[in-house]
Amino acid sequence: MSALLGVSMRTQRRAVIGWGIGLAAVATMYAAFYPSVKESASELEGYLQNMPEAFRTLIGGDYTSPAGYLRAELFSLLGPILFLVYAVGAGGRTIAGEEEARSLDLLLATRLTRTQVVRDKAVALLAAMCALSAFLFVIVVVVGRPFDLTVPVEDAAAACVMLLLIGLAFASVALAVGCATGRKSRAYGVTGAIAVATYILNALAPSVSALGWTRPLSPFRWYLDPDPLTTGLHAANVAVLLGITVVGMALSLLTFQRRDLAS
Amino acid sequence: MDADDVIVAERLTKSYGSSRGIVELSFSVRAGEVFGFLGPNGAGKSTTIRTMLDFIRPTDGRVTVFGTEPRIDPQAIHTRTGYMPGEFGLYERMHVHAYLEAFAAFRAGAGRARIEPLAERLDLDLGRPIHELSHGNKQKVGMVQAFMHEPELLVLDEPTQGLDPLIQQTFYALIDEVRARGGTVFLSSHILPEVERVCDRVGIIREGRLLTVDDVGDLKAKALRSVIFHFASPVDASVFTPLPSVVAVDPRGDAIALTVRGELDEVVKEAARHTVVNVETREPSLEEIFLRAYRDGGAP
Repeated sequence: MSALLGVSMRTQRRAVIGWGIGLAAVATMYAAFYPSVKESASELEGYLQNMPEAFRTLIGGDYTSPAGYLRAELFSLLGPILFLVYAVGAGGRTIAGEEEARSLDLLLATRLTRTQVVRDKAVALLAAMCALSAFLFVIVVVVGRPFDLTVPVEDAAAACVMLLLIGLAFASVALAVGCATGRKSRAYGVTGAIAVATYILNALAPSVSALGWTRPLSPFRWYLDPDPLTTGLHAANVAVLLGITVVGMALSLLTFQRRDLAS
Repeated sequence: MDADDVIVAERLTKSYGSSRGIVELSFSVRAGEVFGFLGPNGAGKSTTIRTMLDFIRPTDGRVTVFGTEPRIDPQAIHTRTGYMPGEFGLYERMHVHAYLEAFAAFRAGAGRARIEPLAERLDLDLGRPIHELSHGNKQKVGMVQAFMHEPELLVLDEPTQGLDPLIQQTFYALIDEVRARGGTVFLSSHILPEVERVCDRVGIIREGRLLTVDDVGDLKAKALRSVIFHFASPVDASVFTPLPSVVAVDPRGDAIALTVRGELDEVVKEAARHTVVNVETREPSLEEIFLRAYRDGGAP
């Protein structure tokens, strides 16, 4: 392992532990609500029938089954929000944060090349997000059990992998904006705006016919449809999200190589 | 230009949208010398340095370090160079020792053995977390990482800012040691006495333009000083005007303010013919020394 990778992983450790605790708390809270949701299943299903279609698409129907409940509460909204906040924050900070903190010049004055710096820091970010995703998987499997919130282990794993992949896609976009501009706020702003816009697009497109064709443009379409919690992984969905990540990474390396660095 | 020049700048230019930047700088730094790069804040010192290390790229002209253009092979330069920026950030969560160990690792282990001796000489506590350090102690961390791998070239950007005087002396001693082992130093500063103390030659930069490159000794001879004589009664100021060393005369009631180039001998002898109540001399600011000297045609 390179020295820079080691340092980058060490400096992220605290944040990863903090976010892990947060994810665990959220997952546990939702799991604890599940028994009461199951009890009033029929009333809730009736209630949901009367909700607007866009909302139902988002939740994905079948709210009271374990898979439906997990998707609606954890994997379709709060999970992606938490994951993306981490991903965009960490991705945006990776280069732009060092540049604004004026620690980048010192790093680049050693034998490390610009490419090595981006690469090692991106790998550290990847490791942190893998750790968070794996941790969430364990939480979902272990904490769900006492509350009857059980889904097949491979389905829980598939959902966590897809969450990881959409996180990586947005992390690489934030990394690229940070690499291109050297500004954290720019990276957060641009990537956050893309995330919100494409999330809404994915939610609205099925019910607004004029927008129907735009839905494939949303990474969330590839994250959630078909639902990994009931249908597992799909090659096309994995490929699209990985593709975004690879393009983001390539743009990061390219733009950072060509640019004047701020002092 | 010479084969053993370590740094060669030829019409090096970096333009920004605003007025900041550097304009057609040409100079060379010889192997084994301590070169001072003197100028007020905002003159373009850091911009020049950062083009030498490929952090920014020139818009025109070029610079080479060890015969290499930074853009082409920055690592070839970085491997042989130690760099201390004027302002820098450290990894606040790390301990000093772990930080410096990591920097040794970033240089393939070079300098690891010198961390402790250098820290001891600079009175830097290696066991503390960086976020607890004062500004001066953070400067020391920057110094250790620049010096520890005994590079052939040291590039130091305003390195003594915020250092207490005792540590400054240690710092000057470190530079003398680099010179003694044949290393080259490029030191930017806005403090004239510092440059006088450590440098062999000095380039003076102002508003992005290089005014002159000179031996430090010659520079001192050309430097302007301001002297104010307070007399017991008004003295005819014109008696000072013919003296060759006097650049400007400014009568102020019983006092006369003089701007003098080089030694004070002539003016003191002239003043002594009258009753002198008090003498004030002032270490002139950079602006006064250089701006006036060179603008008023005082340059050689």
